[in-house]
Amino acid sequence: MSKESLKAMLWGLATAAVTALLVVAGSRNLAYFDAELIAYTFAVLFAVFAIAYRYSMWLQRPPTALYWKRGWQVFFRRRFFLPNTGRWFLRVAGDFALNRFIFRRGRLRGLAHWLIMWGCIVAVLITVPLSFGWIHFESVPGHLRDYRAYLFGFPTLAFPLHSGLGFLIYHALDFAAVVVIAGVMLAMRRRMRDHDAASLQMFGEDFLPLVILFAISVTGLMLTGSYTWMKGYAYDFITILHAITVIFGLLWLPFGKFFHIFQRPAQLGVSFYKDVGKHEEKAHCRRCDHAFTSRMKVEDLIKVERELGYNYTMADPASDHYQWFCPRCRRAMLILAQSALWGGIRGGQPIVTAALPTLPQSALGIPHIDFGPLGKEDEENFHP
Amino acid sequence: MALLPVDCTAILERFGPHLAYSEGLRLTTGVEPDRIVDTHCCFCGQQCGIRLKVKDNQVFGFEPREDFPFNQGMLCPKGVKRYLQGSHPDRLLSCYERDPRSPGGFRPLPYERAIERVASEIQRIQSAYGPDAFALLSGASLTNEKAYLIGKFAHMALKTANIDYNGRLCMVSAGAGNKKAFGVDRAANPWSDILKAEVIWISGANVAECAPITTNYIWQAREFGAKVIVIDPRITPIARTCDLFLPIKPGSDVALFNGVLHLMIENDWLDHEFINSHTAGFNDVAESVKAWTPEKTAAVTGVSERGIRQAAEWWGRAKTSFLMHARGIEHHSHGVQNVLGAINLVLASGRIGRPGCGYGTITGQANGQGAREHGQKCDQLPGYRELNNPAHRAEVAQVWGIDPRELPHAGADAYEIFRKIDRGEIRGLLSICFNPMVSLPDNNFIRRALDKVEFYAAVDFFLNETAHHADVVLPSALQEEDEGTVTQLEGRVIKINKAVDCPGDARPDWKIVQDLAHRLGCERGFSFQSPREIFEELRRASRGGIADYSGITYEKIEKQNGVFWPCPDEKHTGTPRLFEPGSWNPVAQGAGPFYFADGKARFNVATYTPSAETTDEDYPVILTTGRVVSQYLSGTQTRRIGPLVDQYPEPRVEMHPRLASRLGIADGDWTTVESRRGQLTLRAQVVTTIRPDTIFIPYHWAGSQSVNQLTISAQDPISRIPEFKVCAVRLRKTPSTGS
Amino acid sequence: MIHLEYLDRPHSVQTAPVVCMHCDSPTCAEVCPADAIKRTADGVVQAARKPRCIACNNCVLACPFGVPKMATDLELMMKCDMCYDRTSVGKKPMCATVCPSQALFYGTEDEIERLRPNSVPVNRFQFGDQTITTQVRVMAPKTPAVEYVDVTSSLNAQAIGQDIFFNILEEPFTGGK
Repeated sequence: MSKESLKAMLWGLATAAVTALLVVAGSRNLAYFDAELIAYTFAVLFAVFAIAYRYSMWLQRPPTALYWKRGWQVFFRRRFFLPNTGRWFLRVAGDFALNRFIFRRGRLRGLAHWLIMWGCIVAVLITVPLSFGWIHFESVPGHLRDYRAYLFGFPTLAFPLHSGLGFLIYHALDFAAVVVIAGVMLAMRRRMRDHDAASLQMFGEDFLPLVILFAISVTGLMLTGSYTWMKGYAYDFITILHAITVIFGLLWLPFGKFFHIFQRPAQLGVSFYKDVGKHEEKAHCRRCDHAFTSRMKVEDLIKVERELGYNYTMADPASDHYQWFCPRCRRAMLILAQSALWGGIRGGQPIVTAALPTLPQSALGIPHIDFGPLGKEDEENFHP
Repeated sequence: MALLPVDCTAILERFGPHLAYSEGLRLTTGVEPDRIVDTHCCFCGQQCGIRLKVKDNQVFGFEPREDFPFNQGMLCPKGVKRYLQGSHPDRLLSCYERDPRSPGGFRPLPYERAIERVASEIQRIQSAYGPDAFALLSGASLTNEKAYLIGKFAHMALKTANIDYNGRLCMVSAGAGNKKAFGVDRAANPWSDILKAEVIWISGANVAECAPITTNYIWQAREFGAKVIVIDPRITPIARTCDLFLPIKPGSDVALFNGVLHLMIENDWLDHEFINSHTAGFNDVAESVKAWTPEKTAAVTGVSERGIRQAAEWWGRAKTSFLMHARGIEHHSHGVQNVLGAINLVLASGRIGRPGCGYGTITGQANGQGAREHGQKCDQLPGYRELNNPAHRAEVAQVWGIDPRELPHAGADAYEIFRKIDRGEIRGLLSICFNPMVSLPDNNFIRRALDKVEFYAAVDFFLNETAHHADVVLPSALQEEDEGTVTQLEGRVIKINKAVDCPGDARPDWKIVQDLAHRLGCERGFSFQSPREIFEELRRASRGGIADYSGITYEKIEKQNGVFWPCPDEKHTGTPRLFEPGSWNPVAQGAGPFYFADGKARFNVATYTPSAETTDEDYPVILTTGRVVSQYLSGTQTRRIGPLVDQYPEPRVEMHPRLASRLGIADGDWTTVESRRGQLTLRAQVVTTIRPDTIFIPYHWAGSQSVNQLTISAQDPISRIPEFKVCAVRLRKTPSTGS
Repeated sequence: MIHLEYLDRPHSVQTAPVVCMHCDSPTCAEVCPADAIKRTADGVVQAARKPRCIACNNCVLACPFGVPKMATDLELMMKCDMCYDRTSVGKKPMCATVCPSQALFYGTEDEIERLRPNSVPVNRFQFGDQTITTQVRVMAPKTPAVEYVDVTSSLNAQAIGQDIFFNILEEPFTGGK
């Protein structure tokens, strides 16, 4: 076993162990733990182990490790800490709560993701504490129609079962399921119709997660349907079916597309890294002399590339490393290098000017369209 | 009166050009088309195959058409974005008449009322001033069917001598030169012959921007070992990697051709066998080029002797070759002489009529070839027949069922029509598919002439800048809204297929013309129900003519992916290569491969005369004009397509740093360019890719950005093509507050 | 999704089209902290996976050919993925299909051998001490034969063009009073 895997294994085991302890403690030594839900609990424990394992493996990759470290460093950098904290809230709201960047990719696409995401969040917030025995409900003594919710065994609010609030709490999972199904439908529609999606999608990576979410939601709704309108018809069978779908989903969490739930927050670290980079020293392209990114970024990339086994070192000390060249000049050098091979064979010759090679210019008058940079940041990569 | 009804900005606000970008259906990636229509690009003379994707009567995208042999899927930026011209916000959806009180200066008008009004104005003007007082201007982007019918309409319904078309600005010098030398006006070879050529000579053709797909033919030939010679005052993309580049002084091409022929004779790089048995007139030409020593040629052309000798040697010693030229040598007051000089080089080498031995002019407009064959040219009848030839008149009159005496005689060319308007000889004007306010030279004169015309009706799908002056505007069909045939630059007749229906009150030009004919009391001969019926009559009318289409059918075009004319009978598969040894044509009747009674090609003495306006102390710089890759002709379509405008948003003055520094002009500076006829102010583009004594401005723009405010209306005495490529200007830096 | 630029418009009309070269060992994918860039079994390096890309810009800056672009507002890197939607159903990529000069070409080795008899495809590129091999080839002359394209050696190279003065007959020229 490699060092990385061993470390990851330990992280996985530790995280799973802590979770198990929390289950025991949160349910008051299993006093409120529903033994029928034991399978769920073990599935969660496995998922926690595997996610922590994979997360740890992921964090040990050189680029990720570096961002992880830098992300925290820059966040807490004294000069930036307060503004960073403010921005953290804005970004969590905009990117995570509202999924704004996905809506920009496509309205229906954003809506699909937003529905699925919030449906799942609500469902997880309810079911996990329930199955761990962290929350349970008891009827209020003397008021048989009233229920009281207990969190970690401590009494919290009470509510009449047949009130609006009661209905909402009692059926919260059903609502979540409906929201998830709506999102899944939208996502499916796109995957069936969209040519872009069609060319790249794979069953395991793209359809299976939707199928799992759909199955969990539908079997969950069938439970409600069974006891509400069908006098519990096939209730046990549906319970088992539902358990199977949920447990399959839990076991799938660390492997497939669902893992992006845990990777995606890295986006936040990246955004702070970029913010700080903007305010600090720039890297200047060693061909065209334009600033194109932060010096920190170039130096970090050089380090990461070396760790990954790339050696873009250049013999000329003034150039030092290929990472000191902006993307635009890289493209120019590629074409010029090919042209050089044809010197004296095809017509035309290198132009003779006293000036240094000029910057390549967009062949189009106005960028952004078709060939130009894709936005403000990209303009820096293109350094207009 | 054709003064603008309201302020120009109000017209532009209402009728555009506005920019169309992909949105809605066109951006959605999951749309299944209702159908995919195999057709052709609507722009240049190459007529690349393209497949249009249609849903809900809208062209929403395209697919490359790899099965079409000419372009095999390749397209230039214009072709890639052509689908954006449909469903455009500027599209004319009803007839309009001028009304200064309406927004944009025009008020919608029911179609029948519009036809009624145009017809009654025609009748009023013709009865008051005679039939020739009403003139018709048409276009070379129209299908053969439309071109044929418009010619017939002018000659038979309007009975006016004054019909001409915008090919006058495009193909006529090459056409006249070809007629004089070969007796027929068509590219002599299919483009596939370029691939087999050892030397490719390109004179005055910005191939990569104006005929982009031809680049692949030339570069492919180069891969097979061909040498490429480019003659151009600018280092165009095709010139950049050519093997010999001669930066010629604009207007001196004929001198270069004569100088090269001089060297060919001197070194005996001639095909005597071919000259003796297949040509006539060589001795006169040989005599005429005696004076064109390399020294003299160099002095006139501004090209070094070394370059001239190198070109002559490569051309002279080649086993196979292809010579092509375009507007660069044709847009001159001696454009025909330039073309004749080029053809003399081809004839002296004897390299024509065989595989890999070719010659061709690069047609500019969509139907630059076909539209010049079927009778919308001022001196012409269908089948490339001549209006002043009694036999030709009789042949066509018989097909049309009229007395030859009813046919008018040759009339004025497109520019002369405006001079006649200015002189009061022409009082009424109908334009179809023509935007002279952008495309004719010295357009300040054109505007003054338009202001004098009593009645002007314009037919177009967008309100072009000339139509701003119209009394009545009739909305016509886009290329994809009708079917028909077009003859592309190789002489290949191809089929345009209908993809969508016309929106609103718009309708194909042939229907508008027929409705007008009916209202003018001319029902007979104008009762076609479809383009196919018109084509059937065109086939009959062209039978026995030089441009013989009688064996071409829509089915044959589809089956063979195009048919090269002449195609004299149903079993004939067409004639990709002209002048093959032993070939038959209706003029020579077997006497030889060329279209003269003796079957021999003609050498013509090509006389050098300086351009009409040469530089002097007051106007020391040569102005030349041309195109950019993302725009097409007067821009009526391409200035409305967002991505194409973004690619080259506004015209710039291209000048050499040596000139710029002398005038204190830096790249991007506002620069005023002034000729004896007008001035305009544009940003400078300072580049070393142009002769220092020459500036270049592309001509696709209108109004204050139109370079044709400066150009000169001098015309070739034979072809009547205007001299777009040379005039004298001066320029100065404009203070930064400038426009 | 290609790049198209003038290399040095003031002096030459040379344009530079650059598509993704589809490296055998893609630096962009390796430096991606989010595992967002995948290489398919047939060697196509795909654009970033949308759920994973965190818009860190590593790929844009690390790609030796300068290919990826960053759409920050979408939190997404975009680049040429060899028109996977077209190539996976047997069509050519759009850019190579429509390219009017076939500077971009897509086809088999036999086809390129027939069409460019004096050229050979090369897929090894040298960047300082690093060699990169790619799926996309550039055409090099057959003679003199080259093993690889030394990109960084062209650091100070100029664009290719013509010298307007080479064959010009210079005469006294006044550009205005």
